[in-house]
Amino acid sequence: MDYLEFEGKSTEEAIENACSHFQVSPEQLEIEILSVGSPGLFGLGGRKAKIRAALREEAQTSMLSQAQEILEQILLKMDESGKVSGRQEDDRIILNIETEDAGLLIGKQGQTLEALQYLLTKILAQKSRHKVRVTIDVESYRARHEEALVHLALKNGDKVKRSGKPVTLNPMNPHDRRIVHLTLQGDKELKTMSRGEGLYKKVIIYPAKKKEGQEETPNLK
Amino acid sequence: MKDLVKFIAQALVDNPDQVQVKEIEGEQTSVIELKVAKEDLGKVIGKQGRTARAIRTILSAASTKIRKRSVLEILE
Repeated sequence: MDYLEFEGKSTEEAIENACSHFQVSPEQLEIEILSVGSPGLFGLGGRKAKIRAALREEAQTSMLSQAQEILEQILLKMDESGKVSGRQEDDRIILNIETEDAGLLIGKQGQTLEALQYLLTKILAQKSRHKVRVTIDVESYRARHEEALVHLALKNGDKVKRSGKPVTLNPMNPHDRRIVHLTLQGDKELKTMSRGEGLYKKVIIYPAKKKEGQEETPNLK
Repeated sequence: MKDLVKFIAQALVDNPDQVQVKEIEGEQTSVIELKVAKEDLGKVIGKQGRTARAIRTILSAASTKIRKRSVLEILE
């Protein structure tokens, strides 16, 4: 749960501030009072009241149903008869779409799915005034996609080792790049780097410079 | 298509009542014009046009279904 701190002249005011920030009633907040303010004399020497607040579990669940509903609405307006099921994992909302037309919703290289997920995250952030993590999946595309990326990373890693020359992969979004970097992170013979501007960057895999001592590292593969 | 853009736009902005969407239908391509309050322009465009691009992606996916093309224009 994400706690945020709020201040006010009194604890009541601080709680009010917290409520307007989360846009919920006080009952939906988990509140902890850090310091009780004192009014001071003639507006001097007063201390502000400080509290910590976070959304309660139930409020998060309502967020889940809200997310589910918005996604269903969008699909309906796309003329897509998909069923949306959702669950909560830590602070992440995971939505799964069941549809006959998975290919369309995934799009070229997952573009459409990415767009849906991005927009839904934005919409929920707008509604709740705080960031919510949302993952949208269609027919376990995410898992398959990750597997494909790991495979791609390993295959190109091997290629770099054999040829000793760097390989540049196609532009990828941050999430995908992260998977590639993490996959090859443990490999001492390879280094990876992202190159480019903006959201979509290319990952370059290149052989790690051989230093003295490193040559003696036994080849594990 | 118009409803789709309107729904998404209204959910993104601070002033949903000021969202206007107009659809100019052509034989193959329709142009969808989106107008929002000035202070909400950034919300529908997003950082480096990311939100606008996402709306366009969804729009083209939805259009493929009815074998048409749709272009989204954001009016200032």
